[in-house]
Amino acid sequence: MTTDLIVDPQIRFWVFLPIVVITFLVGILRHYISILLSSQKKVEIQQLQDSQLILRARVLRENAKYIPKTSFLIRKHAFNREEEGYLMQKRPPVTQNMMTDPSMMTDMLKGNLTNVLPMIIIGGWINWMFSGFITTKVPFPLTLRFKSMLQRGIELSHLDASWVSSASWYFLNVFGLRSIYALVLGENNAADQSKQMQDQMSGAAMAMPNDPKVPFKAEWEALEIVDHQWVLADVENSIMQSD
Amino acid sequence: MSSKNKNGNSDVVAYSEMAIRNNLSVVEYCRTSMAALSGCTAGVLGLTGLYGAAFYIFAVTSLWLMILCKAGLSSWKNFFISRKSLLTNGFFGQLFTYILCWTFIYGMVHVY
Amino acid sequence: MANLNSILERLRLWRENNDRKSRKIVEYWITELESNIQKLGREKALILEQVCIAALDCNEFTIAKKCLKELHKDFPNSLRVRKYEAMLFEAQEKYEDAIKILDDIIKVDETNSGAKKRKIAILKAQGKTVEAIKELADYLKIFMADGEAWQELSELYITEQDFQKAAFCVEELILHNPHNHLLHQRYADIKYTQGGLENIELARSYYCQAIKLNPKNVRALYGLYIATTAIATSAKCSSQKKKEAQKLSEWALNEIQNQYKHSNIDDIEDRLGALQIN
Repeated sequence: MTTDLIVDPQIRFWVFLPIVVITFLVGILRHYISILLSSQKKVEIQQLQDSQLILRARVLRENAKYIPKTSFLIRKHAFNREEEGYLMQKRPPVTQNMMTDPSMMTDMLKGNLTNVLPMIIIGGWINWMFSGFITTKVPFPLTLRFKSMLQRGIELSHLDASWVSSASWYFLNVFGLRSIYALVLGENNAADQSKQMQDQMSGAAMAMPNDPKVPFKAEWEALEIVDHQWVLADVENSIMQSD
Repeated sequence: MSSKNKNGNSDVVAYSEMAIRNNLSVVEYCRTSMAALSGCTAGVLGLTGLYGAAFYIFAVTSLWLMILCKAGLSSWKNFFISRKSLLTNGFFGQLFTYILCWTFIYGMVHVY
Repeated sequence: MANLNSILERLRLWRENNDRKSRKIVEYWITELESNIQKLGREKALILEQVCIAALDCNEFTIAKKCLKELHKDFPNSLRVRKYEAMLFEAQEKYEDAIKILDDIIKVDETNSGAKKRKIAILKAQGKTVEAIKELADYLKIFMADGEAWQELSELYITEQDFQKAAFCVEELILHNPHNHLLHQRYADIKYTQGGLENIELARSYYCQAIKLNPKNVRALYGLYIATTAIATSAKCSSQKKKEAQKLSEWALNEIQNQYKHSNIDDIEDRLGALQIN
């Protein structure tokens, strides 16, 4: 494809590059700000118990074939018993206290603060600051459908679809740089570990945020239909044959 | 790169879940680097259109071969569960990174 | 400096693999690390922690105290550091003080499994097995998926000779980790010890599974041999079953002989070590 349009090289240094650099640095900044703001989640003991319960039920379902049938039935009975089986327990609904729990609200606010707000502010600023530039051209041909996506802010009906406007270039960067962040920020584990130290290890803190009723029910059903096939039934013959 | 682990045995093969996950994350890391680097290369070379796509496929395949070589052509089973998913996983996820780098460098070098 | 780096590397590796080379760690501390605390950078806290535990293992209380002091300076409110204080008291056999600290930790953070386990460990150290079992059972009502705790409970039950319950705990362990031959072997041991034809047949199956997972497990082979012999000589058994058991016991005996033919005496210690379930 021939370059049918001459773009001022100044645009490269004053629009094209700054957008990339700004998006990248903002992303990094956001990462560190979110580390700064993040609060140690307080895990309720009830939630912890529920998640461990689900874990144990799942393990039982998956590996039941390794224990004798009676042992499996004992456990299944303990989990699925009509009245007071572990999976039949009644739990107060959690959803209601979500609104009343102030820490949940602040967490949500912080999440918004670090994710959505910079996106809007920087996006708006870039849109305002660098509006109307053609910044670059994608190196492959595109159909006219992509025009509205790649040429936001430029209304030229005859322009080839592979030219990219500044606003669209910003959005391309926002989405495309995600995996680069993983590359750059993903490996600083030492920082994370010393942060953990400050608080404490709340062992395997796999908290379940939601109402445990739904996973309980699903686990109950799955456990009901497990067909226990003891794999050791014929193990004696199989080891003798293997040699 | 590949950190090992497996406890295998004549007829039952059991994988250590942690080790597999670790291996996959290492591979993911390689793949992202590969996408970024090959994108930059394609941009510098000034590839356009289908040539760029072909270059991406070439890069993905060669990375796959390199990983297999690193893991050992006969012993890759010790590190990964499936050879095919090693190739196809994240093919489209990394495509975006590739296109971004490609467009960026192409724009820097060839457009203006 | 190069020396220090290689030591740090090694400590990192041990941390990751949960190796407990306490003697060596304390040695490193005395020769290299102590004078270089400030140069450790990010890893400082982790290394201090590691050394602290190692020092407690080796009965080096002054080193442990020093590490604790450093940690305390950096993290004055950390529950994790408080836990190490409790461990120091525990090592000095000041159990009351240790329990007081642990109770404080649990009051602040109900979900702190480490502190709860330490309390159980203290009970065990004091020889109060029954109380320890009770506490551990309560603990397991909440932390159901904690394999270590199940293992500990099974061992406590074995010391109390409550094999039925110990077997239950080992079953739980097998569920969590079905590919560990030692667990199958342990389960079979318990079942065999319980006695009775049904249990011994179960033991036979589990010994077989252990052998299947690791054909070199001599203890399982021997277990299989005595279990099958017991079945073969049992009065209540049908002749068909007896014949099968006879065949299996001969096979097991054969295997054991093969094992010893091929092994030289050098690695016998390794093998004995490998039979430890921990």
